[in-house]
Amino acid sequence: MKFNFWYFTSLIVSLIVAIPILTIFFSFFESTTNYFEILKNTFLLEYIFNSFILLLGVLILTFILGVGSAYMVSFYNFPGVNFFKWALILSFAVPPYIYAYSLTAFFENYGTAFTILKSLFGEGDYNRSIPKFDGMLGAILSVSFSLFVYVYILTRASFYYQSQNLIELGKNLGFSKLKSFTSIILPSARPAIVAGLSLVAMETLSDFGAVSFFGINTLTTGIYNSWISFDDLAFANQLSFYLLIFIFVLFILENFSRKKARYHSPTKGGFKQKEKINLTGIKSFMIFSTCALILLFSFLFPLSQMLYWTIIFPKNFFDLNFQQLFINTMILVFLSCLTLIIFSFLSNYGNRVSRSKFLSILTTFSISGYAIPGVILAVAFITFIAWFDNTVVDFFELKSIKRIFIGSILGLVLVYFIRFYSLASNGIKSGYEKINRSIDESAYLIGYSKLKTFLNIHVPYLRNSVLLITILISLEIIRELPITLILRPFNFETFATTAYIYASQDLLEAAAVPSLFLIIIASFFILLTSKYILRDRDE
Amino acid sequence: MNKSFLEIKNVSFRAGGKTKVKNVSFNIEKKGDIICLLGPSGVGKTTILRTIAGLEKIKSGSIKLKDNILSSAKYHVEPENRNISLSFQENSLFPHYTVEKNIYLGAEAKKTNGKKKINPKKIIKLLNIEKILNKYPHQISAGEAQRAALARSLVTQPDLLLLDEPLSNVDQSFKEEIQVQLKKILNDLQITTIVVTHDSYEAFYLGNKCGLILDEKLKQYDDPYNVYHFPNSIEVVNFLNRGILIPAKVTGENSLENLDLGTIKGNFIKHYPKGSDVQLLLQPEDLEHDDKSNLKLEVIDRKFRGTNFIYTLKTRSNLHIPVFVHSHHVHQHEVDEKFGIKRPIYIDHIVCF
Repeated sequence: MKFNFWYFTSLIVSLIVAIPILTIFFSFFESTTNYFEILKNTFLLEYIFNSFILLLGVLILTFILGVGSAYMVSFYNFPGVNFFKWALILSFAVPPYIYAYSLTAFFENYGTAFTILKSLFGEGDYNRSIPKFDGMLGAILSVSFSLFVYVYILTRASFYYQSQNLIELGKNLGFSKLKSFTSIILPSARPAIVAGLSLVAMETLSDFGAVSFFGINTLTTGIYNSWISFDDLAFANQLSFYLLIFIFVLFILENFSRKKARYHSPTKGGFKQKEKINLTGIKSFMIFSTCALILLFSFLFPLSQMLYWTIIFPKNFFDLNFQQLFINTMILVFLSCLTLIIFSFLSNYGNRVSRSKFLSILTTFSISGYAIPGVILAVAFITFIAWFDNTVVDFFELKSIKRIFIGSILGLVLVYFIRFYSLASNGIKSGYEKINRSIDESAYLIGYSKLKTFLNIHVPYLRNSVLLITILISLEIIRELPITLILRPFNFETFATTAYIYASQDLLEAAAVPSLFLIIIASFFILLTSKYILRDRDE
Repeated sequence: MNKSFLEIKNVSFRAGGKTKVKNVSFNIEKKGDIICLLGPSGVGKTTILRTIAGLEKIKSGSIKLKDNILSSAKYHVEPENRNISLSFQENSLFPHYTVEKNIYLGAEAKKTNGKKKINPKKIIKLLNIEKILNKYPHQISAGEAQRAALARSLVTQPDLLLLDEPLSNVDQSFKEEIQVQLKKILNDLQITTIVVTHDSYEAFYLGNKCGLILDEKLKQYDDPYNVYHFPNSIEVVNFLNRGILIPAKVTGENSLENLDLGTIKGNFIKHYPKGSDVQLLLQPEDLEHDDKSNLKLEVIDRKFRGTNFIYTLKTRSNLHIPVFVHSHHVHQHEVDEKFGIKRPIYIDHIVCF
């Protein structure tokens, strides 16, 4: 085995990504404070139970919303179908915690719903008749409306690639529409649906903002609380260990279903473009209304709620230091994107030119970070730095490194790197997979060096992939809450942290302004990427 | 002694850690020669091209071009530093450039070192790809992509051009025309070429020499005429599939006897002692049709090939013998009818195993 620059790069990335996993693993066997005993006897079961109920509820709802909307836009022609096709992904701009604020703001006593009813029908005791979406129900709704997009995007792509031949085969066998749907359409999209649901599950288990807002004790909030409230890092890590087992099962399931999904991708020969069914009259109206309602509940509702509050409480708008928040967010976005893309390029290019199995395994290992919840990453990172500082740094009698990594932009970017490396690396990898190796070889054969091949062939070809990855990472960082909250430097806020801090102080109307900006900026990024996300055939 | 233009000596060609073709030696004698490598799919023909191009390394033997070592167990010239061009079977055009840019990149990338410069426009016209110049690789057909890649390879003016199934995706109707044009270009420009193909007719037309790769070995390396008429092994006969082997007994210096066909006369290309039992190669053009002959065999199949028919006849001992008949022959024979074979049977060159 030749140890060269490519090995070194991949090894560095793998080591950085391995930090949280190893830290959690070793911390699992450490003793904790008394808090562990108290928790074990009282709350631990509740944490697990709540996490499970939340997961179950969200999976059911995202399945209905995601598969249902994907089916409608893929199989039917009705007014606005092309609009809904991309508009439905806008809900991704609304993180669960902002949805939670909107839900509460709208339905709470004397909230927006009350105001609307009052202005329509005059004074009355409306609070009793307005339903309350808080607690577990609120959390399930918030997380589901924000995350169903994963299921929608993957299922829609799978439906799109289902050949018309398949549908015609069903007709030929005399299947009814329902039978075709349950026996042909749904089973053949199953890998995509499972992949979507697995992503939803991982995100749900790692959600911090919405569940903590509704005061639900899940494993993730438990981790945060044991660290923040009880200062018990070891126990936070132990809880993380349990959660990680949960997550890794999902991670494996998701990977497995993705591999299977390949078999359902179209081949050149057998693919026949699907003919959509044209709907008219009441059926058309019904399906249009359903899509419109999903768009309304998932995106327009939180957007309008935040907008409404921003308008009626203009002081909050003027008090918000928009410029600083924007600069802070963009600094994080810029530094993270730059590091992630450079390292993803280095490791993928290294893999390509060296064709080493060992390198390939290292790369696979490096992408496991995305499965680990942000809270765990942040806590494990702090644990590791503290351990390193107390042992290695002390041993050599060097200056403490805690300040360099904890509560600093460097530390923040490093943990974002671990969290989002898979997004960047997989993006570049899938771009590279489309470049046949014979393309590289053709370049060598017309006299291009490896560097020239990289600069003149790979970079221009992967330009679109890089653009897409940059936007997706930006979107994730703009929405990201727990890592930023835990590791941000003193007095360094982003839109997400500002919104969270206001909301946690019960100042929902003040949280509306940063939330609104966050939704607008995220929507802008989504619109930029919609062309790629919804790309119907590979170019 | 004249030095060979390309010399491949005792090379085992490897790909993906496996030896594909063992201990191969052959030479290309002079500049401008065209060599065709024939063989079934997966036998390692492409690996040979990739190795000569420098994309694969060798562990034994040597590859020399114009007396300069390109590959040996200890020495390896990188592909970009060999003036060798390889046109891949699959679409290897740069996907983000137009066809025109792809072709001109080839022309720009390599310096011509004072050689007669190829005019890309001439190549473009010759390969009939003017209409697709402004298109991107994903917008053109596989056949067009193959021709565009061929054009890119040609304009680099390589010392050695390697073509991997260059016309496999080209329409049949257009294929012969391209073959003629390609041969003309290569001859005019004196570009030494190795063509890999599984189409024996293409190999026989294009190649000054043909190499047959079978069972991990270079089985025969010879003129196309010799490969066809004087195959050196049963494996070559089976691969070319242009005749059958029938049992016969050598009865004299110029004759042998088969149970169904009787006496067969001709010139042995190799001596066999009288009384030897041999396998005689019978090719479709070896037997002549004669309606008046008393040697009648049953027709079990008839293939119309435009210029000719190939009848398959069944003998008493259940041999299936192919016979070539000009398609303008007045009397056509249907399946199950009797078909006369002219006697005495005379074969110009008798090949036995």
